Amino acid sequence: MDVLSVEKLVKQYPAFRLNEVSFSLPEGQITGFIGRNGAGKTTTLHSILGLLAPDSGEIRFWGKRLSDDGYKAKQRVGFVSSGMSYYSKSRLRTITGVTRAFFPAWDDALYRTYLNLFSLDESKTPEALSNGMKIKYMLALALSHNADLLILDEPTSGLDPVSREELLEIFLDLKERGKTILFSTHVTSDLDKTADHILYISGGSLLADRPAEAFLEDYRLIRFSPQDLDAEQHRRILGARRDKHGSTGLIRTEDAKCFAQQAEKPDLEQIMVHLEKGAEA
Amino acid sequence: MKALLKKELRLCLHPTAPMMILLSALTLIPNYPYGVAYFYLTLSVFFICLTGRENHDIVFSLTLPIGKRDVVRGRFALVMLLEVCQLVCMVGFILLHRALSPLPNAAGMDANLALIAEGFLYYSVFHLIFFPTYYKNVSKVGTAFVLSSAVIFLLVVADVVSTYAIPFFRDVLDTPDPDHMGAKLGFLAASFCVYLISAFVSLRLSQKRFQRLDIR
Repeated sequence: MDVLSVEKLVKQYPAFRLNEVSFSLPEGQITGFIGRNGAGKTTTLHSILGLLAPDSGEIRFWGKRLSDDGYKAKQRVGFVSSGMSYYSKSRLRTITGVTRAFFPAWDDALYRTYLNLFSLDESKTPEALSNGMKIKYMLALALSHNADLLILDEPTSGLDPVSREELLEIFLDLKERGKTILFSTHVTSDLDKTADHILYISGGSLLADRPAEAFLEDYRLIRFSPQDLDAEQHRRILGARRDKHGSTGLIRTEDAKCFAQQAEKPDLEQIMVHLEKGAEA
Repeated sequence: MKALLKKELRLCLHPTAPMMILLSALTLIPNYPYGVAYFYLTLSVFFICLTGRENHDIVFSLTLPIGKRDVVRGRFALVMLLEVCQLVCMVGFILLHRALSPLPNAAGMDANLALIAEGFLYYSVFHLIFFPTYYKNVSKVGTAFVLSSAVIFLLVVADVVSTYAIPFFRDVLDTPDPDHMGAKLGFLAASFCVYLISAFVSLRLSQKRFQRLDIR
């Protein structure tokens, strides 16, 4: 059974439409949710959490709609967001005490283990924590009630490289322990290291829902000068960008034979940037 | 509900709320519109909602295994608890007032049982205006407070005027206890019923509006 399934999710704003987004999360995988700012990542995640009221569509956790089972499925869901700081002047001890009361499966020994692991001091307040420590605290809360699904909204945004690396290793450990992670980010290099599956959203529409390896295999990158390409080759370039050495273009892997240039395997950032450039052109 | 109330008390209760409750002591002031004491509690409800917004209380709440309806229910439970505390406190200060200065109040209702009944009416009006407005758009908590405060102000004025202009208020309710206790008890019972009905209607309306609201 899918941990989370989203079907034809629609949210209409005056200047933006989340357009029939559908996907599902298989158990025990890290799914990267990528897209540029304003593409619809947070709208999707907030609809999943019930912060937004979608115009249509269905969201099921372990096959059940949240409202149908009295929100019990949320006992197994943890939400971590880098942009959110709750009760900045309350002590972590107080926030934990309140959170614990909502979760019958709360494991205090596990919570203590995470406090030690993350070097968190319960007498501190969120405003006294760095961004990385705030994320770790939210993770500790989520993991201490034995969340099986972690929804992470830009969790590594604003972190230094060492803290990011540390968090990514934690995510990989969690995956090994069977946890399912939905990881929204525009720092795609984090997903190169961790993601099993990629959801790519652009302009409110889900453009890709693929295993990460397959998604990377779908595309190739070529370096070119515009005058070297004929019209047919230009047509096959999905998106191009310029840098100090010239231009690079993203093409489908099956089109690589149409180009004399050496085709390289792109990373997620290169795919996303080129596709967005192509969409803008 | 126990966990919800715990969250409200530990994380949302504004430090001014106990102070505002203690402002029931205003009933010790001679010739003062005592209905103002009820206004002060609504001010602390405003502070609770305002700091809740700054602390992302609603987003935090919705990450817990509860729905939007429960979030509203929790806030109502906290506010009604504060209101009951204020009324209990008010009873104490009314008794103290009687012991210290049994003179009648020239600026509205006497410090007596009818003042407690009026408290239920003030809260009823506050519930009906503040919460449905607030839960229509939780970002604009000021709008809900300005609206409810304007009406509470009119109520305070009506309270003062009624003790001069309406015979039932002037001759029966605005009298020292234990005069006309039967009528005052009837007024108290009727006010309490209005309070319960208004809380129910306001809760349902607020939940309905909040359900449709996008939290950003």
